[in-house]
Amino acid sequence: MTSEAIVLAAVLTFSALGAAAAILLRDVLNAIIAFAAFSFGIATVWVLLAAPDVALTEAAVGAGITTVFFLVTIAKTVRPGGERLFERIEWRSVAVVAILSGALLATVGSLPAVGAADAPVATSPVTEYYLANAYSETGVENAVTAVLAAYRGFDTFGEATVVISAGVAVLLVLRQEAYV
Amino acid sequence: MIDLLATHFNYLAVVALLAIGLYGVTASPNLVKKIIGLNVFQVGIFLFFVTSGFVDGAAPPLLGHGSAPYASPLPHVLILTAIVVGVSLTAVALALVVRIYDAYGTLDEDAIEEVRTYD
Repeated sequence: MTSEAIVLAAVLTFSALGAAAAILLRDVLNAIIAFAAFSFGIATVWVLLAAPDVALTEAAVGAGITTVFFLVTIAKTVRPGGERLFERIEWRSVAVVAILSGALLATVGSLPAVGAADAPVATSPVTEYYLANAYSETGVENAVTAVLAAYRGFDTFGEATVVISAGVAVLLVLRQEAYV
Repeated sequence: MIDLLATHFNYLAVVALLAIGLYGVTASPNLVKKIIGLNVFQVGIFLFFVTSGFVDGAAPPLLGHGSAPYASPLPHVLILTAIVVGVSLTAVALALVVRIYDAYGTLDEDAIEEVRTYD
């Protein structure tokens, strides 16, 4: 393993532990803090995987806005605490999760190795086309921006529609006088 | 198995995140923690996509800044969209949680079910 791969594995392990803490901690405030740590770990993973745009979005939106939403929610509702630090293990869920993980683990071996130069996505004609033509066709140096705003502009338009719909839905759900 | 740990570590992390997320959604009685589980599950899928576009020693896809190989920009774009959509979903889900709390006075799934059977 190269030193980059070891750093990546360490940050991924940190993130997975953060996620496990977020689920297992009993106090919801503790869980939210663990979730924010998990989000920052994942943002670092995106940097290590050469995806700085995704990292910025994850840090601002995932670790930032989502955490604020969770905090506002528990400020408006309850924060069940208790003497125990961790939740009890729910064995029926463990069984369901074991089935899913078993099925997924069976497929991991047939995936290409992480970072392999001959992996299907890296050698796909779509990837090659974007990397070869994005700058000359759109004049944008950042290929991610070029694909987001030019080649797949309609996707981004759909995304904006989803955000507007979500905003309207939140306002409708929380409108005070509509409460019965 | 040890080989797999060295070459496919990201994909094993994907499985771990999906497992943790699914456990959170199904096991936790608290509605807020179910939504945290949903977010963890979602990040597992993001990790799968971004890993698939990565090449060893790749530069970020900023054309002209750095040299080939570049990481594939397409998974990055798809995941950018998915992150924003995921936050929208989280916001709607949390708004519903606030409404449920106003109606039932609890966020515990079992307690809500009990109130509903007596109604």
